[in-house]
Amino acid sequence: MIGCYVTGVLPRSSKLIEQTRAYERGKISEKELEETFEKATESAIKAQISAGLSYVTDGMLKWQDLFRPFTENLNGIAVGSLTRWFNNNTFYRKPIITDYVKREKDVVNNMMQLEKLPKNLPWKAILPAPYTFVSLSENQYYKDEAEFMIEFAEIINKEIKSLAATGFSYIQLSDPALLYEPLTPKFKKDKLTLVNDVLETAVKGTTTKTCLQTFFGDFSNILPEALDFPVDHLGIDLYKTDFEKLKEYNFEKGVALGLIDSRSSLVEKQDELVAAAEQIIKSIYRSRIEEVFICPNCDLDFLPWERAEEKMKVLSSVTKRLREEFS
Amino acid sequence: MNKMFPTQEVGSLAKPRWRIKGYRGKPLSNEEIAEAVNWGRKLRIENLEELVKLLSRGDSAGRKSDLLEWSAKYAIRFFETAGLDIVFDGEQWRSEMYEHVIRKTAGFKFLGYVKSFDYRYFNKAACIDRPKYAKSFYLDEFLFTKENTKKEIKVPFTGAYTLVDWTFNEYYEKKFSGKIRDFKRRKFEAKREFLFDLIKEVIRPEISKLIDAGAKWIQIDEPAATTNPTDEEMKLFVESFNETVKGFSCAFSLHNCYSNYEVLARHACELRDCSQLSLEFANRDSSQLGTGNVRTGYKAIKLFEEHSFQGNYGLGVVDVHTNFVEPPELVRDRILHVAKTIGSPSRICVSPDCGLRTRTWEISFRKLRNMVLGAELARKALE
Repeated sequence: MIGCYVTGVLPRSSKLIEQTRAYERGKISEKELEETFEKATESAIKAQISAGLSYVTDGMLKWQDLFRPFTENLNGIAVGSLTRWFNNNTFYRKPIITDYVKREKDVVNNMMQLEKLPKNLPWKAILPAPYTFVSLSENQYYKDEAEFMIEFAEIINKEIKSLAATGFSYIQLSDPALLYEPLTPKFKKDKLTLVNDVLETAVKGTTTKTCLQTFFGDFSNILPEALDFPVDHLGIDLYKTDFEKLKEYNFEKGVALGLIDSRSSLVEKQDELVAAAEQIIKSIYRSRIEEVFICPNCDLDFLPWERAEEKMKVLSSVTKRLREEFS
Repeated sequence: MNKMFPTQEVGSLAKPRWRIKGYRGKPLSNEEIAEAVNWGRKLRIENLEELVKLLSRGDSAGRKSDLLEWSAKYAIRFFETAGLDIVFDGEQWRSEMYEHVIRKTAGFKFLGYVKSFDYRYFNKAACIDRPKYAKSFYLDEFLFTKENTKKEIKVPFTGAYTLVDWTFNEYYEKKFSGKIRDFKRRKFEAKREFLFDLIKEVIRPEISKLIDAGAKWIQIDEPAATTNPTDEEMKLFVESFNETVKGFSCAFSLHNCYSNYEVLARHACELRDCSQLSLEFANRDSSQLGTGNVRTGYKAIKLFEEHSFQGNYGLGVVDVHTNFVEPPELVRDRILHVAKTIGSPSRICVSPDCGLRTRTWEISFRKLRNMVLGAELARKALE
């Protein structure tokens, strides 16, 4: 089966951007802003449906960064200063861990406008992976970072279960920090055992499909260890990954191929994407082809809305062609 | 400059309300006009009544350029009155460091706002054709500044690496599509060609014009320098700086702030003809007095020394993100601490951390005034 979906926050439309700025300047009320967010969420969902994606997200338009719903809604975390988001010209607010981190209510479910999600298509939700959340936080409380990571994985586990109960059938854990080691000459693999344990905790007893989405780094660095991770699919940023190294491995696990470049406004040529995907799929599945998803390499909100919408259409067309090719 | 601890500004200064609203053709309130008059008196600006006439009048042909000249004159005099040795016009002619250059250069198209953080966004352009010099973007501003000051001038100049890093690279990615099959390699090669075309076609021609017009010192602003801290990218950044300044008879310096100095330090000595690194430190420092270990914000200076950087430092001693006005004694202690650390006071040029555009003129003036007084105290201490 070859499917497609988005892998993160969608861009705000120019109308919504204008309204958020107006709100900041005190020109419109919170209620007015809320209404614009609702309409924009409807459009974001509609765009995914009309593009023909296999799973639909709510667009995550309110997420100020990947961590913020957790930073703001878990006990024991304070919202810290602006910090560069990897090698981008965008910034997140660093979670400051000041006390024992505790979850008293649903975090992601409370961000969702469930009634706007379609009844006839499966739903996907996106959460920060424990490794990335902990690595990019400032820990002033836990003596041992591994202990905190496991604690946070417990919280993610509860979130996944609650989302599953609501009706979400696919959960992505975003883990860019796992691959981002720009200053290390040789990638340090010693963390992978811990990551495996952490993921084990995060997904135990859950029934949804799960994907560990990596980006901003070369996925081949965590091979072959990642093939044993207790998730259904592994997400790969093809704009950061060495194709040849990737092709050396035999996968017996599903993948999410980040074939659309969310950090480039150039709308990709379909032929080229199809050719690249074909080549990779044929190389990494030597016995039988597992589940494959075609997706953007990371959050599309690095782009203006119109470009993201165009790219979603390309994503869907490329998926259709690959489906025919491999059927 | 023979003087020990000369003082300089780093770039932008806030634009006064009468400049912003006036430029947009909006009518000004009496209060806004009074603000212009008050500062005009304080800065001893001549022919103030002419400005008042201009501000009271509706929109007209030539009003925009007149307003640019007036606000540049104010900013130059602002720095002079604060007592700085090296000045510019507070970038009053520029909308913003990125947009100003891109709008005046051919080959680019603005695609609209993209996320920066929270409810903040920036207008991002795409390179859609080979960049081409269309019209000068800094020359007129420099000529005006030169005519209006007797002080030494340093021209802030947005660096090519930052312009490229902040722009979508459509033209070159398209050009390389099909030629290089590995997406990662293709993106890097596309970036490299974009960067060096921009330097050749746009950046160097403007530098050349500035030098012909008498510019003696150009400060290359590269806030994005360490955004991609890999060795490969840092080498690209260094190469871009070296290519930018190659063969020109002019002094060059680099300004970089709110960045990873561990990474920059490793590559600083590879920058050719970089007479000064203008860096931000006050933002990282405590506000206690003292020249010893209390100066935690200045630790990074050791990294640059360890990596054998031999040029001067534009030493940030004033935090541009707070309204706290650093007392002269604090400025003095920061300078003396670094003088002791590097062992040669002659390599220190006293600066704010960055441009002061986010502070009011009132706060900016008090900060710069104290900076000048602090440099004076430091000089006395070493006499």
